[in-house]
Amino acid sequence: MKNVTLTINGKKHDLALEGHETLLEVLRNQLGLTGTKTACEESECGTCTVQINGKAELSCIKLACDAQGEDILTIEGLADGDNLHPVQQAYLDYGAVQCGFCIPGMIMSTKALLERKPEPSQEEIEYALDGNICRCAGYPKIFDAVRKAGEVMKQGWQQAARPDEKNESRPDMEKITCGITYEEYVKTLNAGKTAEAADQ
Amino acid sequence: MLLKPLTYHAPTSLMEASKLFTELEDVKILAGGTFLLNSLKLLKRKGSKTPNHVISLRHVPELEGVTLENDHLIIRAMTRINDLFDSDLLTDNFSVLKTVCRNISTNPIRNMATVGGNLTCRYTWTEMGAVMIALDADMHFIGADGTDTGMKAEDFFKNAAKTDKIFSHVSIARDKNAKIAYRRVKKTLHVDVPLLAVCVKANFRNNHFSNTRVTVNNGIAFAQRDTVLEEFLNKSKCSVSAAEEAMDHLDTKIYDTRSDDYKKHMFRVSLKSAIKELAETSGS
Repeated sequence: MKNVTLTINGKKHDLALEGHETLLEVLRNQLGLTGTKTACEESECGTCTVQINGKAELSCIKLACDAQGEDILTIEGLADGDNLHPVQQAYLDYGAVQCGFCIPGMIMSTKALLERKPEPSQEEIEYALDGNICRCAGYPKIFDAVRKAGEVMKQGWQQAARPDEKNESRPDMEKITCGITYEEYVKTLNAGKTAEAADQ
Repeated sequence: MLLKPLTYHAPTSLMEASKLFTELEDVKILAGGTFLLNSLKLLKRKGSKTPNHVISLRHVPELEGVTLENDHLIIRAMTRINDLFDSDLLTDNFSVLKTVCRNISTNPIRNMATVGGNLTCRYTWTEMGAVMIALDADMHFIGADGTDTGMKAEDFFKNAAKTDKIFSHVSIARDKNAKIAYRRVKKTLHVDVPLLAVCVKANFRNNHFSNTRVTVNNGIAFAQRDTVLEEFLNKSKCSVSAAEEAMDHLDTKIYDTRSDDYKKHMFRVSLKSAIKELAETSGS
């Protein structure tokens, strides 16, 4: 056992750790921070991504002892009370969450990118998120959310979190879902079916 | 539990790390961890033996950073791939390192993986090997008595050198007149799987290739030079057609990787493309 102090989400934790314990295991099993997900456990999927000293890193291939002295941020440390972080808010607003399993890791990578570059190009977004795999393949909405979060973060996170401004920054959900409203979509679908029946 | 029990050591100086590495038995060095930890997990799953001791170099300040000293680029072992990529010092012949860094694995891995780990993890596929040989880099190792032993990157990979010393840094001489091109081919499954990499470096004299270095990583053996091709290019006029002719002057055993024709074809495509790039930019 080794006595180690880990700084996680701004709070110091004094822990007695075995040398072989990974940061992922300590976060989830000892500290109950289960927002950081465990999936492939071999650095391929990105669900275990946390921020260490502002950079996206994988907690499944990091020894917990090795993280002593580092500033560790998990998904639980993002929101300011009831105010979500702009990246979390943008993912919600843009419907970027499907099954949601990859999202904590995706959000941590997004935050690390936007803190460096609030107006990333499409290529830069894809490059920064290349270690996070979404098995629902919901990438287009994730990319939209990243761009929006960047705009909001550029204005400053405190300002962005003000409730009176939050609604203004929200897009019209029906319109962004597929470019048309649900009623228009059903109408188009029915029209297509009618045309198909007529052809037959 | 992902790993078998081990004793973790965190030295705070290079001397302390070197001494520990000499004294302890059954020990592995931990740099970024992106290769080692996955290897240890795999060994555990297979029921194989894993090391009793791990020495982390994370808290050794002498092993951090990239500097320029006497017109040599010094990249210290614990420099992370993304930190090297961001370095303003990657100009002239060093600029190829930007391309190499950019093509390594995924973003969180590039944030964690180190140049030292990439060069010394003894895995036949690593991105840095081929380019360091092309750049004629010197690798430096520090022993428990503090002595610094230098070794050409080419010799390190050629002899699969094993050492009880700690890799401290790599040193590369600036060459303002050299042109260098790097190609890497990968196939994308759920992650990118590297297939091959080639690096061609040349100077130009009287419109001819000179001091050419061609390095190849075929994924099966460690990175190596194709001296047959180098010899041909050094006698060749600098022209785009030289790239085509060069394909008849390959050291074929390097490219015979027991794989399908696709990989052999991609070797030729990559080499031709790299040589053409050099020929086209030689006048600039």
